[in-house]
Amino acid sequence: MADFIKNPVVALPDRDPAPHFSEEELIFTAEEKVRIARWVAQYPTPDGAVMWTLWLAQEKFGFLPPEVLRLVAAELGIPYAQVYGVATFYTQYFKEKKGRYVLDVCTCFSCQFTGGYDVLHYLEKKLGVHAGETTPDGCFTIQEVECLGACGSAPMLQVSNGPYVYCLTPAKIDALLDALKAGRMPGFTSVTLPQDEDEMGGNRRTDADASISYSTMPIAEQTR
Amino acid sequence: MAAKAGNWQSYKRVLLPPVRDLHRLSVYGDYGALRKALARYSPKEVTEIVKASGLKGRGGAGFPTGLKWSFMPPVDPDVPRFLCCNGDESEPGTYKDRQLMEFNPHQIFEGILISNYAISAKACYLYIRGEFADWITLMEEELDKAYAANFVGENIMGSGFSADIILHKGAGAYICGEETSLMESLEGKRAYPRIKPPFPAQSGIWGYPTTINNADTLACVPPIIAHGAEWFAAIGAPDHPGPLLYGISGHVNRPGVYEYPSGMLITDLLEVAHGMRADKKLKAVVPGGASVPVLRADMIDGVTMDANSLRAAGSMLGTAGLLFLDEDTDMVSFLRRVTRFYHHESCGQCTPCRDGTGWMENLVTRIDEGQGNTRDLDLLLDLCDQMEGRTVCALADAAAWPVRNTIKRFRADFEAKCRKAIWATETKAA
Ligand SMILES: Cc1cc2nc3c(=O)[nH]c(=O)nc-3n(C[C@H](O)[C@H](O)[C@H](O)COP(=O)(O)O)c2cc1C
Ligand code: SF4
Ligand code: FES
Repeated sequence: MADFIKNPVVALPDRDPAPHFSEEELIFTAEEKVRIARWVAQYPTPDGAVMWTLWLAQEKFGFLPPEVLRLVAAELGIPYAQVYGVATFYTQYFKEKKGRYVLDVCTCFSCQFTGGYDVLHYLEKKLGVHAGETTPDGCFTIQEVECLGACGSAPMLQVSNGPYVYCLTPAKIDALLDALKAGRMPGFTSVTLPQDEDEMGGNRRTDADASISYSTMPIAEQTR
Repeated sequence: MAAKAGNWQSYKRVLLPPVRDLHRLSVYGDYGALRKALARYSPKEVTEIVKASGLKGRGGAGFPTGLKWSFMPPVDPDVPRFLCCNGDESEPGTYKDRQLMEFNPHQIFEGILISNYAISAKACYLYIRGEFADWITLMEEELDKAYAANFVGENIMGSGFSADIILHKGAGAYICGEETSLMESLEGKRAYPRIKPPFPAQSGIWGYPTTINNADTLACVPPIIAHGAEWFAAIGAPDHPGPLLYGISGHVNRPGVYEYPSGMLITDLLEVAHGMRADKKLKAVVPGGASVPVLRADMIDGVTMDANSLRAAGSMLGTAGLLFLDEDTDMVSFLRRVTRFYHHESCGQCTPCRDGTGWMENLVTRIDEGQGNTRDLDLLLDLCDQMEGRTVCALADAAAWPVRNTIKRFRADFEAKCRKAIWATETKAA
């Protein structure tokens, strides 16, 4: 065999890493199987239910290592390679273990120019880790994400693929981190439509001029 | 100046009506439009009405909706047909569909059902991006209510017509908004866009005839059926009629999604949003999401939000998500973030797009960090030529347009950030 095949220049990812979950843990309960069956019934072929099932698996296991992907493949009766392909295509499926709370900070252009990078850098400084990393106590992972579709309430972030937190200021971020540390997830916030604001009162940010930041350079590594 | 939007100050909202108590069953007359369509019109007539209304797609491409429906092949009882509702909304600067889901979900459902009837489809997949987890939960709850009231499901309101709505949760990929990519995603594959033709109407999800429309487009259908095609066609700009959801963001005092007739003057919209914040001067406007060319402040006089006017001004309507930027904005920094977005979101199928978007990001980053040369700008423009129209889907074009136009329209900003020495002199000195 050619030398470079035995000793590749680039380190290949471990195809068969040591499993994180034991055989006993790797099961879907009867109740979960009913949910999966309901999704499968909604599509002409079982493949269609793979995204829903991966969501369920991620909720249950926290992230999606190969053994969980195998479990999903076996449950749906489709090839492992297909499940692996889907799981690696989408950014919201976690392929490695993340913190208890994942803070997805939007830094796309509307947020960028209203202080998205300020929020990100503030979090990086406060938690002492860079975007993409997890705090040593395993509590928070910070990530930089693309537009989350809430540009009118910028800058904003999403907590663990769940609730949105709008119109961030340093004080608001501090309060959010404290609440999360105490195990309190933020609830669903509805931002008043701008055209209803005069009548109904708004809950949009009023301190817009407080952000000075829109010339911040778009690099998460800036604080390195 | 003749504003095409007419008397917009007294305009009454139909997509996002003033809602005091959120999420009540049907804001829009208890599915009255669906009832009317089922009782009074044949599927063909519904299509004709929508055609006559002049409704154009709100997803970005602006394709006439009625015409799209009429591309569906004749009904064959053995071949299932589908409708897809595109709620993937990931275009930066766009957030109108999310507001519809939040404030008026039943109008989306009603629009879906009427469209299902028009194209004789028995099921609609409503694809919502995974980030909208809270809104998916909300839509699930509302859909259950609609099922319980027999507005959706078997034999809807005793009419003999049946249709299902199936929610599908995405998982964070901009490219899933592209129609064929969305179909691959639904089929449980990696979401690589398909080569067209065949078009979705011939071969869509699982190879069956499929029509795909944006959620906002479908939400426009119930008012058309309720009030008639003429009523709709008379709203706003004649070449792109109807109510439009303007998602305003950036350096304005009151950002948010505003509903007004199409064809509003951009300057009026700025006024509606209570002007620029801290009384700064306007520098640039992105009129329809990240993919459309940016306009300089001196280019927006008299420009209205409809396809023709914006094309004449050198931009596009896109998704009508406006981003206003003030005088302190660094356009190089802006472009750097935009190229980064496309680099991140390219699905990687086509070489010009996969590599091109990466090189664009590298080059703009280099300029932004003060290491670039003026000839990098020409290299960037050349790169745009190499990418446009040479790929499977339109993402590569969407990545090239902002680069080309931002450089063209703000060249001085870019040159100011480039290194002063040119290579020839450097070599001589060396
Ligand atoms: C790269 C790319 C991304 C797109 N993203 C979206 C999107 O997020 N939402 C959407 O409705 N349409 C999106 N579209 C447009 C769709 O392909 C399609 O034209 C649209 O959903 C059709 O609906 P309409 O006729 O009602 O506009 C995108 C297109 C491209 C090329
Ligand atoms: S143009 Fe880009 S996003 Fe579209 S199919 Fe090709 S590589 Fe994928
Ligand atoms: S740019 Fe941040 S939500 Fe759209």
